[in-house]
Amino acid sequence: MDVLVFIVSGTLAAATALIFAAMGELVAEKSGVLNLGIEGMMATGAAMGFVMMSLTGSYTLGFLGGAALGLALSMVHAALTIVFRANQTASGLAIGILGLGLSSAIGKKFEGKTVPGLPESGIPGLSEIPVLGPMLFQQDLMVYLSIILIFATWYVLNRTKLGLTIRAVGENPEAAHALGLRVRAIRAGCVGFGGAMAGLAGAYMSIAYTPLWAEGMIAGRGWIVVALIVFGTWIVRRVVFGAYLFGSISLLQLSIQAFGVNVPSQLMSALPYIVTIVMLAVISRNAMFIRLNSPASLGATLRLS
Amino acid sequence: MLPRILTRALTAAAAASILALPAAAQNEPLTIGFIYPSPVADVGWAAELNHGRESLEEQFGDKIRTIFVENVPEGPDAARIMNQMAAQGADMIMLGSFGYMNDGIRLAEQNPDMTFIHASGYKLAPNFGNFQSRNYESSYLVGMAAGDVTETDTIGVVASYAIPEVIGMINAFTLGLQEVNPDASVKVVWLNSWFDPPKAQESARALVAQEADVVYSLYQDTPSVVSVAEEEGFWVINTSSDMKEYAPNWLLASQIADWSSYFIESVQATLDGNFEGTAFWGGMADGTVDVKSWASSISGETMAEIEEVSAAIRAGEFHPMTGPIVDQDGAERLAEGEVIADDAMQGIDWLVEGVETRIPQ
Repeated sequence: MDVLVFIVSGTLAAATALIFAAMGELVAEKSGVLNLGIEGMMATGAAMGFVMMSLTGSYTLGFLGGAALGLALSMVHAALTIVFRANQTASGLAIGILGLGLSSAIGKKFEGKTVPGLPESGIPGLSEIPVLGPMLFQQDLMVYLSIILIFATWYVLNRTKLGLTIRAVGENPEAAHALGLRVRAIRAGCVGFGGAMAGLAGAYMSIAYTPLWAEGMIAGRGWIVVALIVFGTWIVRRVVFGAYLFGSISLLQLSIQAFGVNVPSQLMSALPYIVTIVMLAVISRNAMFIRLNSPASLGATLRLS
Repeated sequence: MLPRILTRALTAAAAASILALPAAAQNEPLTIGFIYPSPVADVGWAAELNHGRESLEEQFGDKIRTIFVENVPEGPDAARIMNQMAAQGADMIMLGSFGYMNDGIRLAEQNPDMTFIHASGYKLAPNFGNFQSRNYESSYLVGMAAGDVTETDTIGVVASYAIPEVIGMINAFTLGLQEVNPDASVKVVWLNSWFDPPKAQESARALVAQEADVVYSLYQDTPSVVSVAEEEGFWVINTSSDMKEYAPNWLLASQIADWSSYFIESVQATLDGNFEGTAFWGGMADGTVDVKSWASSISGETMAEIEEVSAAIRAGEFHPMTGPIVDQDGAERLAEGEVIADDAMQGIDWLVEGVETRIPQ
């Protein structure tokens, strides 16, 4: 395997879980609900996806199981924050902790087990192109789906009535309510979408990317997603850029280490975080621009008369 | 870490339910408590400790009763669980993680009638012993096997942190490698994380992308690297448990640690009332350390050599760290025929020539 192929093709796979979870959370946040429980929802999705896949042998059921449990957890968050008006930060953290505990309970009997990974499927024709083929077009199905999801999310948020409604609810829920929009239902739907995508991302980790279950295997990737959205200033292309940048730098640093270059490995391990934050901070330095893009009611407790 | 709270609560609840048994009376079986830092899976560190527990039950039958609590974070939770075990009448406790040391020593001082054995620490008391393994001995042997099968003369190592035990194993591995194949060299990826299976897999792929055709998965508790080896088709060596079933075609060998004989000895001593708190550093001679599942692709010639060296190590005639040994900077660390002292080995902080990667400073 060539180093360049490893980094480019690896980046697409490494960023896929981040993309799924980030697109879901972006939609939820655009509707004004912050969900800090992504790490827990991903972990639960990973455990459930792995268990379903091990028992049935079906990847589809694995992904659906993961997404369903992520959705279920996010509904708890929706109920707490939208119906009972709980603080979004506190509720999200609680969901995250609950999710981690739940993942350990679900995966208990499967600790340390493996399954065959989701096979790669080359796009006919394109995957035979020299160099570029194995780099870009020899991936598993979920990688292609994640790319479709990016465009779908962008299109729905920016070019459809549904997207306009979601953004209106996130900007000014009182006004949206006064217009007759069903603010609570829309928010619940968006939170649910976020949860399902986080669960799917978790399942991708446990049955496709690293096809095994071990408690704690999400290892902080859910928090990366939360950070990517803030640093990507709630703009789809920036969040996606951040996810791919993060993925590529984390593989690049391993390659540099493997190359035997004499640099402190602690610094190398921190590199993906540093580069991603610096890059996204630089492109997002316009404060006015951030204020225009961040949902105005994000994190605020919903008060409808 | 905040998200650990729930796991802790569950663990504590589990502990409470296990321990809510009637306290042992005088003529009741010897009650032995086991505390593991991670969940017991099929393979890995906790699994090996648990095998030791199972062999105790086989050996002593109804003379003993064992209880265990898994996934116990180091710190106040571990202290609470071991205190609870003591309060409920445990006669002996096995502490499965370095960080249980200080709480364990305190408990041992308060309960001179109880005995304790502790994994990988350095403190001792009359009723508090500790145990470690000389894994570097088997590292030398698997290094020889790696030297035999490599075609690219490049070996990759996936390691978590540069602690003396890991450095010692990489050194012995490299020396064994070069014994068979003087041209081969070793590249290391330091994960700087104790537990991140996806990152371990990415590292293995990164090493393979740079010509490595044998990857040494050093103290990765999950089959992360082993399963990617089977998928991609490169040789893999792992530590702690035998992972043959995860890579039936591509596992070169598994270094294993077997605590049974040490556990049985300690329990027998406790039963006989002559337990002494000593530092046990078990190796191949006493069966604590061994290699399993040698791949059939290793040449007969090398295999015979491995058997020979292995017999010499068992007999105490050969130490992997025997001079002349030169470090990465070309400085001579051990003179011709000189054997490294045990305390120097336990604090080793330099890599031998042939390892390309530096120790992170």
